[in-house]
Amino acid sequence: MKLYDYILSPSCYKVRLMAALTGVTLDIRPVDFHPGAEHKGAELLALNPAGSIPIFVDGDLILTESSAILVYLAAKAAPEWLAVASAEEAARVQQWLSFSGRLTASLGGARLTEMLLRPGDIGALQAQGVLALRELEAGLVEQSLRGMRFLAANRLTVADIACFPYVALAPDGGVSLDPYPAIRLWSRALRGLDHFIEMPGIHRLHELKPEPHIEAGEA
Amino acid sequence: MTMQAMIDEWYPVGLASELDQTGRATALMGEPIEVVCDENGDAKVTGSNGRVLPVRVRYGHVWSSLGAPKKELFPIPEADQPGRRFVDVGVVRVRCSPLRAIENFLDIAHFPFVHTDILGAEPHTEVQNYKVEIREDVDEVWATQVKFYQPQAAKSASGGITTEYMYRVPAPTCSVLYKTCPPRPSEWDVITLFVQPLAEDLCDVWPWMALFDDTTSLTDLIHFQQTIFLQDRSILENQIPRLLPLDPGMEIPTRADLTSVAYRRWLKRHNYTYGAQLVAQ
Amino acid sequence: MRLSHGFVRGEALSCIYHGWSYAQAGNCLRIPAHPGLVPPETIRVATHVVEETDGVIWVAAGQPEGGPPRLDGLIPLRSLTAHADVAAIEAAAGVRASAEGVVDLAQSPGIIRLLLSAQTEGKTLIHVLIKGTADPTAGIAASRAAESLRRKAENLHTKGIAP
Repeated sequence: MKLYDYILSPSCYKVRLMAALTGVTLDIRPVDFHPGAEHKGAELLALNPAGSIPIFVDGDLILTESSAILVYLAAKAAPEWLAVASAEEAARVQQWLSFSGRLTASLGGARLTEMLLRPGDIGALQAQGVLALRELEAGLVEQSLRGMRFLAANRLTVADIACFPYVALAPDGGVSLDPYPAIRLWSRALRGLDHFIEMPGIHRLHELKPEPHIEAGEA
Repeated sequence: MTMQAMIDEWYPVGLASELDQTGRATALMGEPIEVVCDENGDAKVTGSNGRVLPVRVRYGHVWSSLGAPKKELFPIPEADQPGRRFVDVGVVRVRCSPLRAIENFLDIAHFPFVHTDILGAEPHTEVQNYKVEIREDVDEVWATQVKFYQPQAAKSASGGITTEYMYRVPAPTCSVLYKTCPPRPSEWDVITLFVQPLAEDLCDVWPWMALFDDTTSLTDLIHFQQTIFLQDRSILENQIPRLLPLDPGMEIPTRADLTSVAYRRWLKRHNYTYGAQLVAQ
Repeated sequence: MRLSHGFVRGEALSCIYHGWSYAQAGNCLRIPAHPGLVPPETIRVATHVVEETDGVIWVAAGQPEGGPPRLDGLIPLRSLTAHADVAAIEAAAGVRASAEGVVDLAQSPGIIRLLLSAQTEGKTLIHVLIKGTADPTAGIAASRAAESLRRKAENLHTKGIAP
């Protein structure tokens, strides 16, 4: 399973994170997205005419939508992440997988504009990002009232992984996460998982390790 | 804030490899500028009223100035050394003072907490004594004999090593780092941070590298450096106050911060205050 | 850097940038760059009096004379930020806030009380309280009612209709 990957892409990170959490080994092929625009070159356009990343290849299967890649990894390695125990759970998973596209368009767009100078109406992107975050916050509040810790169920599903990266990186696009306590708790729960991996902009939870005993001169 | 002293300095305004005839609309210290490739294939930079600004193409980048630079663009002799690979890392915009971007680049004490398991890791947090001076002959800030334990000092490093650094500040918004070169111990890798001040609290940062590394792919080298810088970006955007305080009192330096102390003193001495605050607020 | 970006180990709060850690009294415990150094007393962060009652964390401005108000069987449901000032929220709720920022909504179904805290840039932090006996369905309804109230207040705020 080969992933055409960019280290700063939240959508590529979804795939890397899902693989790490479910113990799947990926063959990573780094793509010079910025500044090289390699995703717009002939080799990658042959795989994905849309000119976007990630691109996931397994045999003759080519997937270019991150949600589809998450579903594929889950179905292969960790079916419990698909949460099809009830009609409601299955629907919630689909609801948040689709919703994650709005996070990409709004918060992801704001991040590309603010950080990598891509053209965009930053005010509008940030405002749409705030609306999406409010929806996610309300969804998490309601889930917690139902006794559910995660977006679609009382356990992690692909929906959580689909939504987490663009949300956690919202500050990169100038959108603060301070107003969303339920999102922050959910984000911490994800970041505290065994086998969790980071990406630049998402810092290590240093509290997970005990205070080291340090003596002067030891370093 | 006085712009005058810094107006006569050179600043990066674009990648030489991305020069085209469409042009790049950008800004320098609040003034809109355009960077374009003219009919002769040369870089041309114009200011807001159409006036032609001085231009240099060096170290992978196009350089310009709003004023009349009194000095030539600072030398990086390693840029002409055979066998090195030159890496354009690409631009990253940061909502911070251009001076804060440089100061953070000069700091090693944050490595274990911000670049965890790459440039530093607990419990190896101690910053040992190093040497700092303002070299009067070249008018540059230098820090030498900076040593730090690094789990993965470079893309080419396998396993942790104690890395040695030398830092150089040849211009108010540019710094050159010389770093232990894992594949070639007798040489230094060169990693630079070129900062284009857009406003006092907004900058475009152009990292650039000149490395001895024949094995790592160019994309991996770019991704390694982008990883490091993007870890810094979220810190830089949250620093308070946004402008760099040049007067003592607001922030408490320790021995580990001697480079920063010298940098601030050097800025103040030259009136390099675009992006700085002088009186503690 | 704000310490809120940092991390808590044991009883110490540490900064994410350089790992300086602080005790509850605000004094600096440790500077990782200098493990052998006992941080001087002059390195301190400001501290505030904090109290947790009825599931709400209260922070005092200055030295308070008494404890925080009691909530009389109410429990916190959620906190949300409105891009609207207190006046717009009062207008949307049809009720004036007390001097402490308490808005009583005993008449409206679901939400029982709001605690308002004015923020910068015309924003207001709203803490929503409901009856401690409310079931999940009632909680969800109250949460949705709070969203509606915020929408109404933000519309009023944007149009400048708030008194």
